[in-house]
Amino acid sequence: MMENTISNEKVKYNGKKGINFKQWIFIGPHFLFFVVFILFPMFYGLYASFTRWNLIGAPRWVGLENYEAILMDPTSSFYSQFRNGLVNTLIFVAGTVPLQVIIPLVLAVMLQHKGVKGKGLFQAIFYIPGLISVTAAALVWLLIFNPRLGPVNNLLGSNVTWAVNQPYAWIVIFMMSLWGAIGGNMVIYRSAMSGISNDLYEAAEIDGATSFVKFFKITLPTIKFPLLYTIVMSTAGAFNVYAQPLMVTGGGPEQSTFVLMMYIRNLAFGQGQSVAGMAAAMSILLGLVIVIIAAFQFRIMYRSSK
Amino acid sequence: MNLNKKLLLGTATMSLALLAGCGNDNEIVLWTPLTGEDGQVMDEMIQEYNDTDPEFPVSQVITPDLYTQIYTVMNTGEGTPDLSIIHADRVQGFVELDMLEPFDELMSSQDVLQADNYIDQAWEAGNVEGTQYTIPLDIHSNVLYYNKDLMAQYGVEDFLDDDVLTFDEIMSLEGQLDEGVYAVNNSLISWVLLAETVNLGGDISDEEGNPTINTPEMQEAMQKLVEIEEAGLMTPNGEDGYAMFQGQSVLFSSDGTWSSLAHDMVEDLNYGVTNIYAFDNETFHNRGSSHLFSMLTSENRTDEKEQGIAEFLAWVNQNSVTWAEAGQIVASRDVYESPEFQDFEQSFFTKSQEQLDSLLIFDYEYYGYVEAAINTVINDMLYGNITIEDGLASAQNEVEDLVAQGHGADINIEDDAE
Amino acid sequence: MAHSKSFQITKWICYGLLTITAVIWLLPAIYALTTSFKSQSDVMQTGFRLLPASWIMDNYVRVLSNTSSAPIVRWFFNSLFISTSHTLLMMVFVSLAAFGYARMDFKYRDALFFTILAISMFPAVVNIIPNYMIVHKLGWVNTPLAVIMPGLGGVGNVFLVRQFMQGLPKSYDESARMDGANDFTIYFKIILPLIKPVLIVTSIFSFTGSWNDFLWPTIVLNNVNQLTITAGLQLLQDIYGNYMVIGQLMASAFLAMIPTSLLFIFAQKYFIESLNLNTGIKG
Repeated sequence: MMENTISNEKVKYNGKKGINFKQWIFIGPHFLFFVVFILFPMFYGLYASFTRWNLIGAPRWVGLENYEAILMDPTSSFYSQFRNGLVNTLIFVAGTVPLQVIIPLVLAVMLQHKGVKGKGLFQAIFYIPGLISVTAAALVWLLIFNPRLGPVNNLLGSNVTWAVNQPYAWIVIFMMSLWGAIGGNMVIYRSAMSGISNDLYEAAEIDGATSFVKFFKITLPTIKFPLLYTIVMSTAGAFNVYAQPLMVTGGGPEQSTFVLMMYIRNLAFGQGQSVAGMAAAMSILLGLVIVIIAAFQFRIMYRSSK
Repeated sequence: MNLNKKLLLGTATMSLALLAGCGNDNEIVLWTPLTGEDGQVMDEMIQEYNDTDPEFPVSQVITPDLYTQIYTVMNTGEGTPDLSIIHADRVQGFVELDMLEPFDELMSSQDVLQADNYIDQAWEAGNVEGTQYTIPLDIHSNVLYYNKDLMAQYGVEDFLDDDVLTFDEIMSLEGQLDEGVYAVNNSLISWVLLAETVNLGGDISDEEGNPTINTPEMQEAMQKLVEIEEAGLMTPNGEDGYAMFQGQSVLFSSDGTWSSLAHDMVEDLNYGVTNIYAFDNETFHNRGSSHLFSMLTSENRTDEKEQGIAEFLAWVNQNSVTWAEAGQIVASRDVYESPEFQDFEQSFFTKSQEQLDSLLIFDYEYYGYVEAAINTVINDMLYGNITIEDGLASAQNEVEDLVAQGHGADINIEDDAE
Repeated sequence: MAHSKSFQITKWICYGLLTITAVIWLLPAIYALTTSFKSQSDVMQTGFRLLPASWIMDNYVRVLSNTSSAPIVRWFFNSLFISTSHTLLMMVFVSLAAFGYARMDFKYRDALFFTILAISMFPAVVNIIPNYMIVHKLGWVNTPLAVIMPGLGGVGNVFLVRQFMQGLPKSYDESARMDGANDFTIYFKIILPLIKPVLIVTSIFSFTGSWNDFLWPTIVLNNVNQLTITAGLQLLQDIYGNYMVIGQLMASAFLAMIPTSLLFIFAQKYFIESLNLNTGIKG
């Protein structure tokens, strides 16, 4: 919708000059850094994915060998690692991303309520866990779910050994991840909602709209662009998950929480010689999955807004 | 854009101001992976050396991800440190890739830098086909901590009369312990498995350099550990065995020498150290690694500086008793035979030749792959989620695939022809 | 002013849900905080207790005395300089670029943006090597530039600000353009003031991100005097847990988050003010 409104100007601009370089004044500085620090390294990674490379010597070209091992050769351990890692990563994405969007959204809506005081305090409480280092956060959550030392088993009388049994291992990982992750999205929604004029709500109230209706008719449409941002970026972030499962379960039980990024990092920077070519190939494939899913999210969001 | 430029300029000038005094040609830059307390102890020791007013003082750079950092500088060939501490299992691989400079020349300039003056295994770890590539600092090994009070409570002090706890002795505790008390824990259990495998005459690689994980020896060793678990003598899955030892509910904890620092902070924990349990009291091993001084290949290291490095290493040989404070077994003979060293718990491992011989360092080029692959499956095997056969077979498969990749990375003409 | 009955009801529902969530969110943090005052034996004793048997300062004392030989004040100022420069530059780059991608009209604008966004989504695992090569070629190793600059190429923040700018009615620009305003005036006078809340959010993200980064600084800053405080403290605290003194780890985590928490609380004041300001604008 927004895209269409621009066409008015197009006429005016094109009338003045043939080609316009004005935009480069705005996007140029960032673009330069993008090319140097993202694009070039990314192409290097793409190149590395077609090689065998131990990070020390020069990469040796092997064509599609890495991709063949990962995608086509069921006897290869890289094949099973990639499959298992991707499945587990998808479970993590499915388990965290919806909540990572919905919980902060609900919190932001409630903080928007004019009668609620202490907004700053609530906001700080939700945001600050994200500032605690992952190591310390993992340790706290492990203590909380520790069968002997933790409150869950001692106070609630649960007999579950959480970190080594499914689906409990995932639950611990989900909770710990959400604990640190909702603050960021919440402040984004808060700033997005601030753009909504009070008049709109008041007018709706006069029409007798319930809070529910107001949320879907006024709030959601207004914040749809920032909302899309949080959905896309939370998803991309979740696909890159690594530290939480590593610290909480070490990938177990039976490698059921071994996410793809753990395999990739082990290959590139694990114990023993680096297998960076294979790691690069797996990251390219993971990147493709992320981009495809992001493209779907864009499509769906733009469709539904029309 | 103007605003941009101003900001950029401002930042640049401010950064220049911050660029005061970095890098010094008369300094030996030493990279170490010694995060935490260990790094502090190393700094103390280096300070002692610098106080002797050497021509080339040493300065330590601690890096949390030493090998990543080594990869980055070796790849660009710039910023290589003068000296760095690496682990024993990295030597073979590094030599293969031409990343280490030999110490042979420097050894002739400093008398003490000789095999006789160090623990054999630590010295040998740096020797590849007759050339010496590293000078050892220490061995840090697997060790069995025992809770003296619990042993007295269950009347089993005699288990350690011969300094070796055996599987039979452990199994004899079946049904004897109170609820919530366990005989052994699962800390560093992969190191224990490796030691047991060697106790049975196995190894992790054959003569051709192929990995050997799925072997009868390792299966038998693993089977033995599973029996302990099935008898209810191993700390349960999902429990932190390390925490349980400190919480006084485990008799024996297989852990690292360095954990004594934390154990000391637990009041009332009355503990001692001994050998990792074994099949009998004749054959026993404690899997360890070693911190080794090495010179990464660099053209910028002058001969004078190399002499300075040799001087420092000779000083370390004579004066590294400070390093024992980090809980490690100092590799220098003069130090481990000194009376001061006997005050440290870890002197247990240097008290006799038999004890020294029990220290087990793997120098297999692909050791890192082996340990990582075993770590991935060992808990599932131990607690019965998967069978020993499946676990070891999958680890074997994984390491073979990785080794194949490693071989491929070498510049190999035959390979190119395919 | 009297509010309607439904206003009162929803208000209390909000309070209820907010409080429940806040308690759930707060408890682990409180547990972590009280643990930082426990001795190792206290932590390891079977059974759950929120509060220490006896409160001790040892963990904090030990963490801080570990740093006695480290130039911790220097690190703090390095970090302050690095994170502030990074954030300021980021704000300029991001708001300019977002304006370009959201409010200007040029051929292949969206295609270009979605391409760079897609590229930036590929996981950057082995990229540390080419990045080091570049930083090294530029002569930035062991200078603050090595940690200030590379992050500026990131696309995430541009995406965020672009999304906000897209939500602003196009009529704003058009009426300004009628009055003879050029792109810069529109960017500076009209758009920037409107997106102030999200710029504050972006600056909090950039600052904390830069402050908390620890692997990259240790790779490119080998001089101990150049290090950032997060990287420096982590080196001293044995994050890889060779031995685990849980109370000490908690203590160092809390010490490390003091500056970023203060920043958040400080920035939040402006953030909430800017929110209130914005609500006044009529759509």
